[in-house]
Amino acid sequence: MPSDTTKFGRRRVLISAAGAGTAALAGCIGTGDPDDDGDDTGDDDAAGDEMADQIDVWGWDVAANSLELTADAYMDEYDATVDVEEFGQDAMKEDLRSRLTAGSGAPDVAMLELIDGPADIGTGAIADITDRVDESGIEGDFVEGAWASLIEDDSIYAIPWDIGPTAVYYRRDVYDEHDLDADSIETWEDFQEEGEKLPDDVYMFNIPENDLDGVWRYQFRQLGNRPFTEDGEVNIHNDDSLMIAETLKQLYDSGIASTYDGWSTEWFNAYGEGEIASLPSAAWMEGTLRAELPDTAGNWGVYRIPAHEEGGPRASNWGGSSLMIPSQIDDAEANRAWDFVKWTLATDEMQLLMYDEYGLFPALETTYEQDDVFDEELDFYDGQAARRVFADVAEEMPEYQYSVDTPYVSDAINNHFLAMLRDDEDPEDTVMAAAEEVADRTDRDLA
Amino acid sequence: MATKRSSSSPERSSSVRDRLRWARQDISSVLPSLTFAQVAYVLISPFFFLFGLFLLFPVVYTIYLSFFRYEGVSGDTLFFIDFGPFFIEFPQIAELTFIGFGNYSRMLGDGLFWQSMYNTTYILLIQVPIMIGLALALALALNAGFVRFKGVFRTAVALPVSANIVAYSTIFLILFNETGFINYMLTQVGIEPVEWMRSEFWARKTIISAVTWRWTGYNMIILLAGLQTISTQLYEAAEIDGASRWEKFRYVTLPQLRPVLLFVVVLSTIGTFKLFAEPYVITGGGPTNATITIVQYIYEEAFVGSPNLGYASALTVVFVAIVSVISIIQIKLGGDD
Amino acid sequence: MREQRRKDAVWKFLTYSFIIVMTIGMMVPLYWMIVAATLPQEEFIRFPPRLYPGTEFFANFAVLHEETQFVISIWNSVFIAVVYTALSVILCSMAGFAFAKYEFRFKEPIFYLILATLVLPIQLLVIPLFLMMAQIDWTDTFRAIILPWLANPIGIFLMRQNMKSIPDALLESARMDGATEFQIFYRIALPAMRSSIAALAIILFLFQWDLFLYPLVILEDPGNYTIPVALSGLEESRRINYDQIMVASSLAIIPMAILFLVLQKQFVSGILAGSLKE
Repeated sequence: MPSDTTKFGRRRVLISAAGAGTAALAGCIGTGDPDDDGDDTGDDDAAGDEMADQIDVWGWDVAANSLELTADAYMDEYDATVDVEEFGQDAMKEDLRSRLTAGSGAPDVAMLELIDGPADIGTGAIADITDRVDESGIEGDFVEGAWASLIEDDSIYAIPWDIGPTAVYYRRDVYDEHDLDADSIETWEDFQEEGEKLPDDVYMFNIPENDLDGVWRYQFRQLGNRPFTEDGEVNIHNDDSLMIAETLKQLYDSGIASTYDGWSTEWFNAYGEGEIASLPSAAWMEGTLRAELPDTAGNWGVYRIPAHEEGGPRASNWGGSSLMIPSQIDDAEANRAWDFVKWTLATDEMQLLMYDEYGLFPALETTYEQDDVFDEELDFYDGQAARRVFADVAEEMPEYQYSVDTPYVSDAINNHFLAMLRDDEDPEDTVMAAAEEVADRTDRDLA
Repeated sequence: MATKRSSSSPERSSSVRDRLRWARQDISSVLPSLTFAQVAYVLISPFFFLFGLFLLFPVVYTIYLSFFRYEGVSGDTLFFIDFGPFFIEFPQIAELTFIGFGNYSRMLGDGLFWQSMYNTTYILLIQVPIMIGLALALALALNAGFVRFKGVFRTAVALPVSANIVAYSTIFLILFNETGFINYMLTQVGIEPVEWMRSEFWARKTIISAVTWRWTGYNMIILLAGLQTISTQLYEAAEIDGASRWEKFRYVTLPQLRPVLLFVVVLSTIGTFKLFAEPYVITGGGPTNATITIVQYIYEEAFVGSPNLGYASALTVVFVAIVSVISIIQIKLGGDD
Repeated sequence: MREQRRKDAVWKFLTYSFIIVMTIGMMVPLYWMIVAATLPQEEFIRFPPRLYPGTEFFANFAVLHEETQFVISIWNSVFIAVVYTALSVILCSMAGFAFAKYEFRFKEPIFYLILATLVLPIQLLVIPLFLMMAQIDWTDTFRAIILPWLANPIGIFLMRQNMKSIPDALLESARMDGATEFQIFYRIALPAMRSSIAALAIILFLFQWDLFLYPLVILEDPGNYTIPVALSGLEESRRINYDQIMVASSLAIIPMAILFLVLQKQFVSGILAGSLKE
């Protein structure tokens, strides 16, 4: 910030106080652009390659910590300051949303969860970086399935960061003790059969009643579906959605599932004590298990998510995020911001550094070629090369388009699926009711 | 007492006091020229000054937005004012499409809007009477002449209001957890544990108890202050007439306290209508939207998912209108003149 | 006589019982919050719940101190709330006095307008207010947090209601003695309102103390954060650091407790009675 901002600011206070009262008298109110050097469009030629000396980067939790790593490395390499600010998750979303919609005060780079992609792009406050991406030719380096939520009308608005290829984590010791065979599980039916071998006080897995939409979404994606059709009609009551509802209800009714709230302390304890044998989740779960349940290291294994029908698809994605650049910042800042984003996300070194330190599974597909990383036999998994399982899933996972109306879908699925499980309601009525609720709230038609 | 304190340097402190008195007289000699009504305008003008400076724009902007569909951020200039050397530019904040009363008519068919209004009203109708009853009883008890350690009790009862909203919501979340303290106590006395968060009925009761816990002491303090502006002579007169405890309450306390009681009723009604943090943290609006409140709904329209600022503004306008009318009715019914 | 005394004793017993039951009810969740602040996170969600304090308070505080600049945040919150309360008490008493004791044009509509601003959900004002503050370069300042809410409708309303109980005769006799309207206000009305002003101060302090979304958006430097804003940083993506929040919240009670105890002295009966005596 130049040093004269305060003076400028103070002057503006005086003027607006005076101006508000007398503007009409002065009679020189105009509309439109007062000066034509417009600061928001056609910046490429005017901007040149000038780069700002300092940028602000926002993120939360582990993501902010890993950005600090890459920022340090960046500052060693280049003559610029990158300030990483760490927030709480909700706090950052609220703060960022306010600043984006107010058109000022946003950081130069910010974390954007894939699930929020379309909604935030819809604010019109995120810079279109298509030209920059094309110029640098990095689009093909990333997993194809990660882009969909970051692209709107063929324009790119953010670069994929980490993704969450799915798999079932299982406690090898518990499986062995009760003679369960992980290799024989191919479908959810097999999964249930194996689960029924367990005694009453050990559960095969957990159905988190507070996160049913997460469960539904990864399975819906696994089946290659998406909640809205090309024409924008609600499509969460189709056969695939119904199949998921039926599967979930059958597993719930069979009694092999516990129902702790996901991420609650009871839930962690149950996994720690081997009260629950398997955990369908995503690549990022490893980091959490290492940190929260250190005693269980070496007892885990992973296999692919079961299919709904024999021979069906077994790859999906759960979660993930990206980095974006707000459109309100000036060109020199945007240039620096882009340089930093490229450094952090499009280089194997940085992506692998963040994967190593914080378990953020890279969306950068070129990293998977590093056999020494991905084929390493890990002690945590009792010697299994688990990263290769995730990398294979990542390359296969179907594209998924989140939508601005994703929160409504989440709400509806959570509410109606919960009622289905608890109150024994019919799966077909359930998906229909959920679809109708979404249609009602978003002014859409049913497909 | 003043002489004792100023004994060390009587000269100086008295001259300071004199100077203050002169200054006051100077001011006073200017002021009496104001008429009776003008004084009133001077007294209320700071409110309008600050309101005009800071809140007028947001309020007008909200009403303005309620007639538009929000399409996204805009970088253009809306209009500028040119005073020669002074130049200010008002940015056009948003790309808007005029839709007239579109947002308002959408509200009519919006099930969740009605659901959230219903939830809020349900919570309000149970919570406000309980809380005010308790607060009034506490204020009377803690104002009674014979009660000792008043200060300690008053502070203890008022303290919940100082708990951070996230922290106390978390405490209630855990107290009412399926394996929480409340259920522990219930099982100790042989009652089946309750699934507080999972039933519509109990989730609302959880919210009600949390809000009542936090705000009862606050209202008690206000009522206590009100009780103390009642002239003791009125009680003395009543006693001479041989009035019973109930009669003193009925014919002295209640009529004298009416303005403050009315304040507490109106404030609590508005406060509970604006309920947001508690359901947001404790129940997340669930189960099945049974505890989502109107302000929570407005917040979600504006901040979660796509920013429907136009619709959120329309919801706000209607909400403010409804609650203001209810408050005015309360004030009229409360016999305020 | 003895009958009367027995009745009084029963009444006293009932009153005390009520007070004690309510006090316990109010203290249990607070007590538990403080217990939670002394436990490691796993332990305080355990079943059956643990009801006595542990030894982790300082360990939890150390983490809190590392994650946030909490001590500075307490200072910021206290500073903002105190300045705000002091200024706002004056403004609200003045306006409340005008509404209670003067006649002027549009008195009723103006009052209802003020009431309507009390209903406004702050959540929706945040974006336009931030925009204004950014325009005048006030972001990340305390004045941006304090000024917009100074003319607090709750305060005006409270003082209006309370000042109604000042007898008109009292003001009239002062006028007879040649007092100006302002002298009446600060010599008679304000002293008679001691307990109401104490209540007003608590209301205003608390209003500012609880603000979250607005300061979150306005404040940028973590060194300027207020307590609720600092606490929001403890929430990680999938779980909340309850133990630190409990430590922070337990500590944040202290300034409020001090405020209550200080203002406690103002809650005295019979001020008006004294001034009425001829």
